[in-house]
Amino acid sequence: MTSILLSLSVGSAATLLSLPPGIAVAWILERTRLPGRSLLHTLVLLPLVLPPVVTGYLLLKFFSPKGAVGQQLASLGMPVAFHWLGAVVAAAVVGFPLLVMSVTLAMKGVDPRLETVSKSLGRSGWSTFWRVTLPLCWPGVLAGAVLSFARGLGEFGATIILAHRIPGETETIPLEIYAALDAPGGEEQIGGLVGASIAICIACVFAARALDSWHRRRLELTR
Amino acid sequence: MKFEVDARVQRRSGFSLEAAFTCETGALGIVGPSGSGKSTLLDVLAGVESGGRVALDGRDVSRVRLHRRRVGYVTQDPLLFPHLSVRRNLEYGAGAEGVVDVAGALGIAHLLDRMPRHLSGGERRRAALARAVAVKPEILLLDEPFAGLDERRRREAMSLLDQTRRRFALPMVLVSHLAEEVIALTEWSVRLEAGSVAASGPSASVLRAGETQIDNYFTGCVLGPGLVRVGHVELHAMVPAEASGDVRLACYAHDVLLATGEPQGISARNCIWTMASAVEPAGEAVLVTLATPPVKALVTREAAERLDLSAGKRLVAILKATSIAYLGAA
Repeated sequence: MTSILLSLSVGSAATLLSLPPGIAVAWILERTRLPGRSLLHTLVLLPLVLPPVVTGYLLLKFFSPKGAVGQQLASLGMPVAFHWLGAVVAAAVVGFPLLVMSVTLAMKGVDPRLETVSKSLGRSGWSTFWRVTLPLCWPGVLAGAVLSFARGLGEFGATIILAHRIPGETETIPLEIYAALDAPGGEEQIGGLVGASIAICIACVFAARALDSWHRRRLELTR
Repeated sequence: MKFEVDARVQRRSGFSLEAAFTCETGALGIVGPSGSGKSTLLDVLAGVESGGRVALDGRDVSRVRLHRRRVGYVTQDPLLFPHLSVRRNLEYGAGAEGVVDVAGALGIAHLLDRMPRHLSGGERRRAALARAVAVKPEILLLDEPFAGLDERRRREAMSLLDQTRRRFALPMVLVSHLAEEVIALTEWSVRLEAGSVAASGPSASVLRAGETQIDNYFTGCVLGPGLVRVGHVELHAMVPAEASGDVRLACYAHDVLLATGEPQGISARNCIWTMASAVEPAGEAVLVTLATPPVKALVTREAAERLDLSAGKRLVAILKATSIAYLGAA
């Protein structure tokens, strides 16, 4: 039960953490002509195809308690490696490509001329983003958030390397299932965890699809 | 409003716009065939696209960002914000005020609480125009605002636009491919062809003359109220009562009619026997130079064939007194 709640809290925190940069990156990819966009796009998609263990290893190198970043964060009271935050970061990183892809698609659906009209009406680029672009791609943002949440929930490889398996702190559902496999009488425990995983993920996919179709309906009706 | 424009846009597709003109008018028309750069020029005027120099009433706005330009920019598609009601669309602009008043003037007051997707095409156009007017812009910029409307609605929309513009005292730039719209709604026009200015002048003259815009300028001596002598012929013209002595006059070549005999029962005050001194093609039309009065007449090719026009042919030149304009003392 603890691991289910922990998974939900790690997934939610990871999603909240990745939303602002996810939206920003999607905007850069979709609405700017910044040089180096294709490199950025590649980097963003990398966690989707990279073995999660490799992602975890790279993250561990970056956040290592012996490294500059790790020490800096630890002195701020936010150690990432071998900590709840590590599970959050691992989940956020592996879910990030799904979020960015979903938001980029939603932004593609927003007519850029609406943004031009908004600016001609005296609204700055920033104000236009909040008043026009974001409200119109909001369902796509939510759908992406749900997908990345579901992906983060199931993260195993990167989590176990970066955050280790600390019961009650970093032991999410997949990690507990892995541990229960070796434990005597773990079979029963696994059944419940697997059921919970499946239920949460089905709910997430349903939610994402419902949001997506709401978004499509909304845009098609206006065309 | 005084327009000083030198628009320069180079597209990757190879299209380039190099349009320079200066004029002072409350309503400017931009005309030309499709692909000639009308919308691009409008975008440069609006600040949607940068390129070249644009000065309005002497103020260089080329470097002013779009959201600080204070332009009422209305695109060909009426782009309402789909997630906002009509009222919130109208209130959207920075400093928008008098929304109900503007909506009333454009006949959409009863639609304020609807969502854009529940409006007809014509209603959307009016709402988009109202939204632009509500921010009290310095200038209205309209791209084919009547495209896609049927004849009756187009006429309604034209008169509504004219009333609205006058009521809120807004200078306007209108892009249209329909001569009728531009003549009815604008005073001065710029005709674009392949990205450059082919003609710039009073709308009626720029448009009616088609490929060739020819104005006749000549001098005359005032004989009395509304009567001048040009060479050895007397012409009725729009000369003010206080004018005297030598004066400068003008008329459009397309306002000069030709006949092979003296017409009967005609309202035109000037029917003068003269001779064609030259007949030459001018684009789709034919330009006939007359001996006296020293003016050119622009007629269609069919008319030239029907009258069997050639240099040396005796003709009657017919000129309405109202089409001879007085430009001032010589």
